[in-house]
Amino acid sequence: MKKLSCMISAIFMAVSLTACGSKMNEESDSGFEPHLDTNTSCSITVAGSYDNFEALEAEFDRFNEVYPNVRLSYVKLDDYNNTISMALQGNDPPNIFFSNAGMKGNTKYDQMFALAEDLSDPELSLNLDCIRSGLINHDKDDQVVMIPVFSRTYGMLVNNDLFKKEGLSVPSTWTELLTVCEAFHSKGYTSPMMGYSLKSSGCFMNTVAYPAFAATLASNPEALELANALDPAAGEYMRPALNTVEQLIRNGCIDLNACDEIEDNYTQVILRFFEGDVPMMICTGDTVSGTKKRESQSEAFTNEPFEYTFSPIPLTDDGGYFIDSPSIEFSVNKNCDNPDMTNEFMRFLITKEELNNMASLKRLMTPTTDLSFDSVYAPFGQIPSDRIISPEMLGITDPLTVQMRVAAFQVGKGELSIDEAAAMYGSYE
Amino acid sequence: MKKTMVIIVNVFIMIAMLIFVVLYSNTQSQNTAQRQIEHFENTTIAMERVTENYLEGEQRICDVWARYINSRNMTIDEAVSFIRISHVLPNASAHIVFLDSLSGLSSKARQDAPDDYSVSYARVSLLEDVRWISDIGSSINISRAYTNPVNGEQSLAFCNLITLFDPDTDVPKDAILLRVLPISELEQKWIFPQEEYENAELSMIDADGNYIIKDHSFKNSNFFEFYRSYNSGDTAAQELFEKITSSTGSFSMYNSRGEKCILAYTPIASKAEWVLLSFMPMNELNVNTENWMLVGIVSVGLLILFVFDLTVMLYFNQKLHAAAREAAFANQAKTDFLSTMSHDIRTPMNAIIGLTTIAKKNLDDTESVRENLQKITLASNHLLTLINDILDISKVESGKLILSPQTFSIVEAVENLVNISQPMIKEKNIEFHFRISRMEKEYLYADQLRLNQIYINILSNAIKYTEPGGHVSVDMREDESKKPGCVQLTYIVSDSGIGMSPEYMANMYQPFSRQTDSRVNSIQGTGLGLAITKQMVDLMNGTINCQSEPGKGTTFNVILDIPIAERQREDMVLEPMDVLIVDDDPILLETAADTLKSLGVTADCAESASKALEMISHRHETEQDYSIVILDWKMPDIDGIEMTRRIRSTVSPDIPILLISAYDRTDIEGAAKKAGANAFISKPLFRSTLYDTINDVLGTGAKFAEPENDYSDLHGMNILIAEDFDVNWEVISALLEMYGINTERAENGRICVEKIKSAAEGSYDLIFMDIQMPEMNGLDATKNIRALDDPWASSIPIIAMTADAFSENVTECLNAGMNGHISKPVDIKLVIKEIYRIKEEKKI
Repeated sequence: MKKLSCMISAIFMAVSLTACGSKMNEESDSGFEPHLDTNTSCSITVAGSYDNFEALEAEFDRFNEVYPNVRLSYVKLDDYNNTISMALQGNDPPNIFFSNAGMKGNTKYDQMFALAEDLSDPELSLNLDCIRSGLINHDKDDQVVMIPVFSRTYGMLVNNDLFKKEGLSVPSTWTELLTVCEAFHSKGYTSPMMGYSLKSSGCFMNTVAYPAFAATLASNPEALELANALDPAAGEYMRPALNTVEQLIRNGCIDLNACDEIEDNYTQVILRFFEGDVPMMICTGDTVSGTKKRESQSEAFTNEPFEYTFSPIPLTDDGGYFIDSPSIEFSVNKNCDNPDMTNEFMRFLITKEELNNMASLKRLMTPTTDLSFDSVYAPFGQIPSDRIISPEMLGITDPLTVQMRVAAFQVGKGELSIDEAAAMYGSYE
Repeated sequence: MKKTMVIIVNVFIMIAMLIFVVLYSNTQSQNTAQRQIEHFENTTIAMERVTENYLEGEQRICDVWARYINSRNMTIDEAVSFIRISHVLPNASAHIVFLDSLSGLSSKARQDAPDDYSVSYARVSLLEDVRWISDIGSSINISRAYTNPVNGEQSLAFCNLITLFDPDTDVPKDAILLRVLPISELEQKWIFPQEEYENAELSMIDADGNYIIKDHSFKNSNFFEFYRSYNSGDTAAQELFEKITSSTGSFSMYNSRGEKCILAYTPIASKAEWVLLSFMPMNELNVNTENWMLVGIVSVGLLILFVFDLTVMLYFNQKLHAAAREAAFANQAKTDFLSTMSHDIRTPMNAIIGLTTIAKKNLDDTESVRENLQKITLASNHLLTLINDILDISKVESGKLILSPQTFSIVEAVENLVNISQPMIKEKNIEFHFRISRMEKEYLYADQLRLNQIYINILSNAIKYTEPGGHVSVDMREDESKKPGCVQLTYIVSDSGIGMSPEYMANMYQPFSRQTDSRVNSIQGTGLGLAITKQMVDLMNGTINCQSEPGKGTTFNVILDIPIAERQREDMVLEPMDVLIVDDDPILLETAADTLKSLGVTADCAESASKALEMISHRHETEQDYSIVILDWKMPDIDGIEMTRRIRSTVSPDIPILLISAYDRTDIEGAAKKAGANAFISKPLFRSTLYDTINDVLGTGAKFAEPENDYSDLHGMNILIAEDFDVNWEVISALLEMYGINTERAENGRICVEKIKSAAEGSYDLIFMDIQMPEMNGLDATKNIRALDDPWASSIPIIAMTADAFSENVTECLNAGMNGHISKPVDIKLVIKEIYRIKEEKKI
């Protein structure tokens, strides 16, 4: 009889737990509290320029745990920059669309932004505080028409296991960097640091020089004004950055010939790093986003996996700079179908947990205030605030960055001297 | 087998059955799933045909346009104008772009510039390589989903290579004609049949896995990437992809939500290397629910069966344990029984054998022989009682005792009871009262033998355990019964005997239970009497209660519901008269007065002889003599005989006087007659007895005129005795000879039948028939005699005389056609009584 009672109790407990499980499924694991009828049926489309956006599709699935009848899809628009405005006014406009800081101020996108909703509207209840303040751009009307879902920065991938193997510490100052490079050199590493160097776009020279230049401009508003105006006089302010590039190459930290063997600034950079013999690979955060997926594609890494992180390049004896820029941003079409559910999805997405989750899947830097959740990007979380530079907040414009990139590339390649490069400021295309 | 082992075997069988059910269910589920998957594949193939027809239709329109444009040597403006005219679909458009610049004109203006019809595919990675566009009419040339550069809508394009006339260079120029259809429109038409599968979705991919068209659940821009992202990237994936693009079939995979899905694929026949994919969550197949329900039901069923079996097994185990205990107890009881029997049988046997030996040695001493024979008789009777009791208790306990109800007179039964008790009462000089109350129904229908057994056992116990000088009283009462057609007889026997202790009373109905008491040990008894009594009462659905206190006495109370016999006496009413009844027992006075009143008589009561004398004298002086005076024999001041004497001497010699007594009247009969009593009547005073006696006294004047029975009327009777055992024959013939009865022997049933057959009418008055005899038993012999043609022979009275003493034996004899039953060893008094009964019936 006692056994029978136990069995019956067990069945009751199992049934109760099942019932609890069902109830729990009605709420998101994140604790998201739905504001709308969870049985609502509708469709939401996110338009963007990514070929794939699996991280966002994973968020769709998580959102569907709360709103199972909402059909969310991601659509890649060909020639996005030229078609998005038309798509927003077309027969089947997207609810949410990609935007970025570079679009702001460009008249070509005025129509697009005219259709963008003010996401700082308190009625929407979006938790903008979860995002690093330097990444949120308020326009002249103090509206926030786009919210970053990823951020980008400049730095270097560090093979931590290789450092351990060679008994060296990851450098945190310029001096240490040079010392470590020399130590690796002496151990037979011809190029302790590497990076893409075939074209100026995405070249390592810019990745090294740009943070240094931005730091110079951040400390000198007059220089920034000149630089944004493409005044040749601003070329002088590039010298420290260009010197850094030149020193790295001249000191043997970087072997250009070895770098020239890397065919592109994304996949090949990653695969070269995964070969396991490169202590430091200079790249942007966008390149780092491809590492996760390519771990399995690299035979060398699969055979001998190692621990790696993405760190700021220690350009000064005080350390490196954290250039904190928004990457992809989301805007909401205020004329879209199902605006309430669209904003509900944005409310769901713009949280520390969901943005971190998406960044983790995409292996991009999260825009949230918590950088520690991803060990690869964790070193950036340790950078003091006075060394964090937000170019968008600073007012650095795109033409300025082109000057720096081309100048750094040509200096790095030895095509121009530093003097020549500085003198040519404003003339690079 | 131990309980644990049984449980293990049961659990093993349950698990084996569950495994079987699960395996069977899975097989059934798999079969069902397989059938549904095949159906899903077939639906996909059907969708492929629909899709193909649709694509061919759209492509044909594009082909017609292209042929027309090529045949007319048109400029781009002319071609676009032609298309605008022939275009009928409102949301569709057409683009013509030169192959070299990938720019040209649209049939519709740009979304952002209403007057601008220019279109460029330079930044749409669709037309850099146009090798996928075949010659007109040879294939379906459909693009992947792309963004229409004119309006930003996701679209598909059916394409053809055309040649336009370039007015600037005067030479033909290659261009591409695109018939552009918005995907949103296509999605509304191109859906999986909802009535088949609600959540099934369709997509189309090219050889590289890139989606041409994709539905919601297909993630990524490439199906193969989608597969790799959510499914283990094993090496077989590549083989799978090759299979998808070259054959029709299906396989399971996980979607982005981790749900298991079924993917059916089939190549599109008219477009090489394109594949149609159908995708659906596996749970849509809905094949498992019922099976799990089956498993659940079987599990619960087996569990219930297991628990039930376990419970039943435990229950039977307990019963077996109890039975084993009872068997051990019974075995012990049997041992005890045999031991007791041995003792109880040997004791009287010892007396019989010993006294016989003594008598043999003292044959010359007549007094000594008589004394020894008397003791032998007592010991024999005790032995007989013991054997009868043993047989009875054996019958009762084996459940074979069957009641044989018959009509009998309760008056006779009580008289018999009193008569049987009288010798012991007299011997022990016990004060005895037998009172009845409201005994209206004389004839009842019950097993008289067993009823007598109950009453005699209780009364004889009371007398037996009451010391000399004590008193025993019996009260019998007739009440209305709750059972229809019955009366409730209450029989209460109280004594001033030794009483019983509570410990003994707890087990007094157990066989062979006798109280441990030095006084009891000197009293003969089998220890079976109360056990038999209790069993008989239970058998007759009655109750028996007892109150007792050691040293103070015992009262037994038996209540039985007994059916009333159909035969009853006619209304008994006497002529109106005055009767005086005298007794020192007020209860008797009250009951007797009631009885007399019911007979229509006016009864006066007197509790003492002196008062009675006054009342009689007073009546006599006023010349209103009592019609009859009823006197108790035993009264404290003047006894009944003296009282009679005084009435006769001082009042009137004619007043009829009846003497009543609860004691053996033979001792006082002579004195009473001499004193002038007219008749004698025994207690208790039944209504019928009073009626008969009063009628007799008033009619004849003297009851005592009846001569003492000398059995002379039995002289010369001829009785045939069928008895195979010589000693028995000698005993019965000698006993009957004592009464002047002639006997003749038949050694078995066959001889008995033959003798009757050959005998002349009236040769025999009666047959005493043994039952168990060689050649032919008594039952068969009786049946043969009853079947004889001779009316005298076939109707001759036959009395069974057998050692088969049970009631069913009696019934068996009566059923065979016998007229009565006497059990061995025979009591000559009963034999004579039976002979008289037969004689009386003959007279009737």
